Amino acid sequence: MSKDVVNVLKLVKTPIYSHAYSQDKSILAITSETNCLLYNITNPKSPKLVATLADHDKTVTAVDISIHGRIVTCSQDRNAIVWEPLSDGTYKPTLVLLRINRAATCVKWATNGFKFACGSSARVVAVCYYEQENNWWVSKHIKSNIRSTITCLTWHDNGVVLACGGTEGLVNVYSGFIKGLDKKEQVVNSPWGAGKFPFGLLLKQFYQGSWIRGVAFNGGLELLAFVSHDARLTVVDVQGNTQAVENPCGLPFNDLLWLGDNRIICAGYNCHPVEFDNLGGGTWKFKKNIDKVSSTGKNNLTNSFDNATDDDDSQPSFGISALKKFKQLDLKGKVTAVDNELGTTHQNAITQLRLLSANQVSSSGLDGIIVVFNV
Amino acid sequence: MEDWRRIDIDALDPENARLTAADLQQPLLTTLPTYTIQQVQQQISQLRSFGSSGDTLSAVRLITGSPVYLTDSEATKQQYLLAVLDVLCQARPTDIANIVKQLSNDEADVLTKYLYKGMSKPEGAKQGAVLLSWLDKVIEKNGTGSIIRFLTDRKSV
Repeated sequence: MSKDVVNVLKLVKTPIYSHAYSQDKSILAITSETNCLLYNITNPKSPKLVATLADHDKTVTAVDISIHGRIVTCSQDRNAIVWEPLSDGTYKPTLVLLRINRAATCVKWATNGFKFACGSSARVVAVCYYEQENNWWVSKHIKSNIRSTITCLTWHDNGVVLACGGTEGLVNVYSGFIKGLDKKEQVVNSPWGAGKFPFGLLLKQFYQGSWIRGVAFNGGLELLAFVSHDARLTVVDVQGNTQAVENPCGLPFNDLLWLGDNRIICAGYNCHPVEFDNLGGGTWKFKKNIDKVSSTGKNNLTNSFDNATDDDDSQPSFGISALKKFKQLDLKGKVTAVDNELGTTHQNAITQLRLLSANQVSSSGLDGIIVVFNV
Repeated sequence: MEDWRRIDIDALDPENARLTAADLQQPLLTTLPTYTIQQVQQQISQLRSFGSSGDTLSAVRLITGSPVYLTDSEATKQQYLLAVLDVLCQARPTDIANIVKQLSNDEADVLTKYLYKGMSKPEGAKQGAVLLSWLDKVIEKNGTGSIIRFLTDRKSV
């Protein structure tokens, strides 16, 4: 374990596609197959399972917790469920009919916690909010200009502007303005639109070309950052000026986080987070690898594949370990198993990043662990 | 149990908004120029003149600087690809490393697309060894990122 790692939670043996923390960081929710598991992590070293949310009947794809403690999960069974915490520690499920004919892929609460957006493979973003009169979660669809699965989405801090990315290589920015719930003051002077923000209006569109895996707003700077399957991080502003920077190890990222105004943490298929910094003037550059301990393969082939300047860290040795094994067999007649662990804490791709505090981020991985990093 | 994964759910959708290949081309069309046969031929003759003067670097710069993604017809694209292959295959093996070193990352990414496309065609497959030595140098310079960008990019040459 490298010095960047604060805590490792080995919770399940299944992939964790998504995880979320409650506002006070005492509850951790993770997805595990068709369930969502809730852990009390007041003592971070010994998480306690407090509830299993088990109403979905297909794989749960995403989970998010609102500032009020409501949990929303969405699943490949085409539904979302809002889980209301009760005083006795249990959760009351309310089914939200998204009215989609394919899997729900991602879900995010708006900042104020009164509505959420859910992306899907049905080429629809459903924005859902609670209607008091009918005691019912209403789902309104955003359909225009979507021709692919929505893989990721995010809300602007103002709670109205919504960005989503899909497999057609487009990042679309929409208005998610709900009458009676949102106020015009939230978007007054917002540079993303031109004065009017009717629900579902396409405000901006950015073409990237490959699958978009993660999007994140910086509300203060009015910037939008996204990571895509071509191993790039792209930062765009309202005018459409783009700055793209590549992952030096050449593998795609799955998610990203803004850390203040000048730092972005990305993570994905290289199994460890990577930090990019703003050098000023909107130029972004690779800063450092987080949690990549030196493995034994310092002199292996991957070194020649790399043009990064971090000499003290060696390169990940995926794929090479098998080669090494057969070389050993061939040259030395050695049959002992070689160590095929990656030089990182995560042993499989990272699926999602969450901000834990100003200098800590946590990641969930396909290897079923949650890792907390110092950044 | 019925194999629900094989149900054609779009047939059950009243709006039946099936996607066509053209739908996915649409965002490309708005962002990229479409080359006509005349423009492509002009670029080809430029490539030939670089080729005859032995200036492979300028030729590769031209290929990677203005990649022909969209054309008025498939034949135009094919014609251009063959001209590109000629340039790449005529390069002296000793020059390749030096040329690749002088390319920017984006230029090297475009070059990767032409290398893979070339290898997929019978004309290029005959010259596979040369194309592979180009690719080898690109990866040495740019890392495996060039390959993932070739695999994922909709802007194909």
